Amino acid sequence: MPGSMMLPDLSAVTPEGGVRAAALARWQEQGWPGHRAEAWRYTRLDRLDDLDLAPVTGLAGTASGPADDAARGIGAHVLRFVNGVFDPAGLSDLPEGMTIVDLGSDEAALSRLADLAPAGHPVSDLSLAVMSGGILIDITGAVDAPLMVIFEGDDSKASAHPAMLVRLAEGASLQLAEWHQSSVGLAAPLIGYDIGAGARLEQVKVQAEGAEVAHLAATGVALSDGASVAGFSLSTGAALARLETHVTMQGEGADCQLSAIYMGRGTQHQDITTYMDHAVANCTSNQIIRGVLDDSARGVYQGRVHVAPDAQKTDGQQMSRALLLSRKAEADAKPELEIYADDVVCAHGATVGELDATQMFYLTSRGIPETIARAMLIEAFLIDTIETIENATLAGLLRPVAEAWLAGSEGA
Amino acid sequence: MTALLEIRDLHASVGDKPILKGINLTINTGEVHAIMGPNGSGKSTMSYVLAGRDGYKVTGGDILMKGESLLEMEPDERARAGMFLAFQYPVELPGVGGMSFLRAAVNARRVEAGEEEIDQLGFVKIVREKAKLLGISDDMLKRAVNVGFSGGEKKRYEILQMALLEPSMAVLDETDSGLDVDALRIVSEGVNLLRDPGRAMLVITHYQRLLNHIVPDQVHILAGGKIRKSGGKELALEVEESGYAGIDDAA
Ligand SMILES: Nc1ncnc2c1ncn2[C@@H]1O[C@H](COP(=O)(O)OP(=O)(O)OP(=O)(O)O)[C@@H](O)[C@H]1O
Ligand SMILES: [Mg+2]
Repeated sequence: MPGSMMLPDLSAVTPEGGVRAAALARWQEQGWPGHRAEAWRYTRLDRLDDLDLAPVTGLAGTASGPADDAARGIGAHVLRFVNGVFDPAGLSDLPEGMTIVDLGSDEAALSRLADLAPAGHPVSDLSLAVMSGGILIDITGAVDAPLMVIFEGDDSKASAHPAMLVRLAEGASLQLAEWHQSSVGLAAPLIGYDIGAGARLEQVKVQAEGAEVAHLAATGVALSDGASVAGFSLSTGAALARLETHVTMQGEGADCQLSAIYMGRGTQHQDITTYMDHAVANCTSNQIIRGVLDDSARGVYQGRVHVAPDAQKTDGQQMSRALLLSRKAEADAKPELEIYADDVVCAHGATVGELDATQMFYLTSRGIPETIARAMLIEAFLIDTIETIENATLAGLLRPVAEAWLAGSEGA
Repeated sequence: MTALLEIRDLHASVGDKPILKGINLTINTGEVHAIMGPNGSGKSTMSYVLAGRDGYKVTGGDILMKGESLLEMEPDERARAGMFLAFQYPVELPGVGGMSFLRAAVNARRVEAGEEEIDQLGFVKIVREKAKLLGISDDMLKRAVNVGFSGGEKKRYEILQMALLEPSMAVLDETDSGLDVDALRIVSEGVNLLRDPGRAMLVITHYQRLLNHIVPDQVHILAGGKIRKSGGKELALEVEESGYAGIDDAA
């Protein structure tokens, strides 16, 4: 049964059989999550109701936003999706150890992406079905230069469905930044990271979409034996954002650091949802989540850690803290542990608080104006999270985004 | 001599509880006054009221600094106008780097005075010099504000802030508590360096010992929310010997 939400006009989309046709059939069966869907209890998609959107098939539109400067600053190779459509200009001069081919013509890769994608997430099916020019990135070695994938486009009537599967071969390593800065109607990126044995992915995601955008991201990650992932998302943009990531520990000795900061003001809605599946033994995962909410903004963190019966010696941690700057702001946290093994170390925690009045007084009693004092305390609240990012190059991308948000709160 | 601080019939409450019940006190430029008094008599409350802390409500009277009422001013405005409070219990600020904190405070004042903001390098040099006089290590300067500082280190750090901000009216709330004998001397020297004809200080303490180092022009006894007795530095000796028993604390 389709929900009552906006249904993108799919008339131009006709995947021919196979994985994508199956995804389209599932989407047409399920549609958007209805009001009873537990996983969407805190994040309603009602505001998509009035949107009249259609997927884009041709490459058009102009680029704008700070991502290009940021990419230049770290010497990154740039790939670009415009209104959800891949721009092949990025295929020239690829760094050594990286190959990129069309995703749509590789059934095996499509099938793998369908497996990795968050099950039951509408974007997992929808974007797989309607993607245009999705890409398959293979990494076969240690790639030195960071890769920056920029998601942009200014077609406010577009529902953008960029799709990307990144495969790291055994022992490979990659530093990757996703930078989302579009002003499309709906941004629905579907991204898979398939990490081979002993390989390492260092990834940051900047969600700095335009103020009207609905950003619904479905990301799937799988780690093989001894693989490691250090992922970090900073979500400051969009009217409504849900960053949903499902991670599967499929090989022993894997380690996944998955942290996020969300910041919201006005009537923004920020949702970080994760599912950490410890399917095998001897893996570690750690999630640190920080939220800052002003005005009537709302924040959600849903984090589920699943430990399978055989996944002994699992270490799974998650800790979320939200800071409310206004009485009308609201934060919900739903950390969940589902543990079916007995020899594990797992912990979770969630707090919601306000700026400390005594700390504010101490700062202002030194002559520091209130707006600056607030910004200093907010930054302090976030800083230990950013400091968990080992990769200084990638961490450096995030600071200006967080600072820009803080500067925007002055005098607001 | 002109009055730097004039407290006129000051009444203040915390929550609904009246704590200050009619304080009158005038401190002229260049003077150092000391306030002593039993625990809970309202000394820290008075210091917070002077600094403008939220929740400390003035219910009557006035506070003038350089002839201007402070009552309508926010804590940061008072500070930039020259008020400084060395806290009895300095506040820890995890995640706030010491240097950026000190620089933000100094720059706030400079901006107010229409001066250029001070640059990072020049500032570090100035801080190091002043810190050295107070026995504050470089390591402490690098840490987050007051985090992991010992009680005595926190007090020195308060005086370092005072030295950097060069206030016209400094209120020191029990800066001597928690200091060992040597630290007491070092901190007192730091305070004495700032004694200046253009500046006034109000030193809150329980012990006459501090007043051997920082010799006050006047000593006041605060009890039950009122100043019960005032005198010269010998009043502190009197208190040391016979306690507050003789002080009439009936309203
Ligand atoms: N937030 C508060 N709520 C209720 N009562 C308070 C509050 N703060 C202070 N008081 C009360 O006000 C009175 C004065 O306290 P204050 O801290 O000013 O005393 P003090 O003279 O500084 O004492 P000490 O010598 O122990 O530092 C005390 O009775 C105290 O319990
Ligand atoms: Mg006190």
